[in-house]
Amino acid sequence: MNQRTEHLLAEVLPHFLSGMSVNFGIAGIALAIGLTLGALFVIARSRGGWIAWVAGAVVALMRAAPTFVIMFFLLNAVPQGGGLPGTLIVAFALVPYSTAYVSDNGSKAIDQWRAGSHLAGLLFLPNIARAFFVLVMSSSVGAAIGVHEGIAVLLHEAEHLHAFGDKLVLFAIGVGCFGIPLQATLAATRFMQNHLGDRAARLGR
Amino acid sequence: MGKRGLARRVVSILAISAWLLCATCPPPAQAADAPDPVLAHLLTEARTAAAIPGSCIQPNTERLVRVLCAGSLRVGVRQSYPLFSETHDGTRTGYEIAIARTIATRLRIDVEFVNVEASNRIPALAEGKIDLVVAEMGDNVQRAAQVRFIRPHYYQSQTVLVGPNDGRTGDWTVVNGQTVCVTVGNGSNARMLSHGIRLMLFDTAEALAARLIDGTCQWAAQDDSFFAYYFTLPDFHARFESKFGFSEMPWGMGVARTGSDTLARVLDLMSQIFHRDGVFLAAARANRIDTAFLAQQKDVWSSPTCDTASASTNPDCVLPSADASMPATSFSAAVTTFEAWVGHTFGFELILPMFKTEPAWNLFLDGLVNSLVLVAGALVATLGFAVLFGRALGSRSWPLRCFARGITIVLQSSPILLTLVVTAAALHALAPNSAQLALAAAILALGVSNGSNAGQAISEAYLTLRAESPDQAADGNLFRSALGRSATQIMSFLINAAKGTPIASFIGAPELLTALTDISSFSTGRATTYTLLLVFYTAIVMVVVWLAHRFQVFLERGNRPA
Repeated sequence: MNQRTEHLLAEVLPHFLSGMSVNFGIAGIALAIGLTLGALFVIARSRGGWIAWVAGAVVALMRAAPTFVIMFFLLNAVPQGGGLPGTLIVAFALVPYSTAYVSDNGSKAIDQWRAGSHLAGLLFLPNIARAFFVLVMSSSVGAAIGVHEGIAVLLHEAEHLHAFGDKLVLFAIGVGCFGIPLQATLAATRFMQNHLGDRAARLGR
Repeated sequence: MGKRGLARRVVSILAISAWLLCATCPPPAQAADAPDPVLAHLLTEARTAAAIPGSCIQPNTERLVRVLCAGSLRVGVRQSYPLFSETHDGTRTGYEIAIARTIATRLRIDVEFVNVEASNRIPALAEGKIDLVVAEMGDNVQRAAQVRFIRPHYYQSQTVLVGPNDGRTGDWTVVNGQTVCVTVGNGSNARMLSHGIRLMLFDTAEALAARLIDGTCQWAAQDDSFFAYYFTLPDFHARFESKFGFSEMPWGMGVARTGSDTLARVLDLMSQIFHRDGVFLAAARANRIDTAFLAQQKDVWSSPTCDTASASTNPDCVLPSADASMPATSFSAAVTTFEAWVGHTFGFELILPMFKTEPAWNLFLDGLVNSLVLVAGALVATLGFAVLFGRALGSRSWPLRCFARGITIVLQSSPILLTLVVTAAALHALAPNSAQLALAAAILALGVSNGSNAGQAISEAYLTLRAESPDQAADGNLFRSALGRSATQIMSFLINAAKGTPIASFIGAPELLTALTDISSFSTGRATTYTLLLVFYTAIVMVVVWLAHRFQVFLERGNRPA
């Protein structure tokens, strides 16, 4: 391990991990709000009639709205950004995605549950874990409005490095830190899906 | 008495004689057209008029006479603008406060300070709530149509670019490719944009300084008068430095355009005299603000050409108003009419700055076209990389499969913003930085990131198909079937790529978000602008969703057994 890499690990890593905690915090807030709103939309969509149609249309809009643009909309179109700190602006920008995701997957899970496939319905839980990590990764857009999350810390540190190779080492550390929990989550999700699938097959036999 | 004593006595006698000669001679005659006698004459006339019974309550009385009648000059000043106008424990201090007090003293009346903001200082004059405004108001052509500026100007600011204290000063190259934090509506923003600088917008200058200090911004541009205070703070001075200045803006006191002709003329003459006699300069030194402009103006107004009563309109002496106006579009009048109609009919304020001036319209059109190119490019790149990764991940060659798998894991683990920055840096190593390069980097990053995920889905479908029919020899047919089986996943990553395109603005790609941010920096109507942006991108993604559904049907049809 050369001196530069040692410096990166000793000096930058703690800052980066502190920034990553912001990513997890943002994702947690966005998911909590998304679960609440998403549940309401699931109920509305299950009612049928015009309420379901309106709820479906709103969810379609939320599904289509780009997070990055919503973030700038909240920052600029709402007077003074609504007085919100940057982290909350990013979290709120992610809410349409999380709400639409919860609503879509929740509606599907309820349909499967009602159809008697309880285990298929339970796939909702690993899907939420997957959504959480999508939110963690997406929260890096906060760097564009000055939020001190993980990627912002990396980019800030990278500006002090001159060699492209050094920057790549720094970025690799970042990818590793984001990647390990992500891949672990994906593996756990796959395991849970397989487990539920096996149980469903056994019950079927 | 020695020779030395005699010489000393002769020198003393000569000195006393010279002093007596000077003491008895008349003061140097002022030029017939000097500003001082004209000012004295105007003031005498006004005081005489104010002394006439009943004149003070006449409806059309000149503002100067009214002020003299009231015995008080109401001056609009900023409540908190360090070194220029501040209030501490009820006591006002600062350069502008000193000027207002000096004017009132010369008029032999009191001064009453009224707090004003940038947004209400001109209406306050027009409505007669104040007689004079001294509130760091830049003299530009647009404002000159609303307020009578006092000339010569009492100060001149310039926009300074403040950045890390690394000793690198000079010109625009020091900030090449960086994002600069600015306040919305700053007249110098358009100039920065013309140098290819990206802007991050803030509502107030105070927010700008706070974001510099907390590290959110590394670069900021604002009036040097604003940063003058911050550079008196040791910590700030140690961390930041002024790189260079541009966009000079003369500051003028202002009075109402109607009913204030004599007051304006009196203040013009006073300003000339204040420059000539160093009154402005002394006040500036006392308040620790930059004096370079005032020292230069002292020389100008002391010169025979400018030390005349008519010099305040002489272009050789007085600075012109800054011209920040932009050429209007041919349809700007129709846009204004439409805005008014919406306001009248629906009761909310609609402002469409992108349609009103030529620079804004051009930025908007370019942004629109680039956004469409970006979306189309991202979709094609995603599809291309999906096929590529699908082939590689489903390959019978294990080194290729492992390599593709490794790349996919890295791309999945990298937030899209990081992938974007790394791609842009890699391309920048091959070619000089440009808007086209940023667009290409964004297309590549979005394509490879989403394509790798879609490719994984294709390969998984491919492997299941191969397991279901191990004897099928034609790989091509299997692969086409795999595309159909993974159509839902491909569709979702195509939609994801389209949704991700605005992120390209982070590396300076000139798409619509970048264009509208630039337009917002030098115009009003941010709320409308960003609402339209949200509507545009949501509509684009919905169109992509519709197209992707049709594409999915097409793929699935190909997958259906004959």
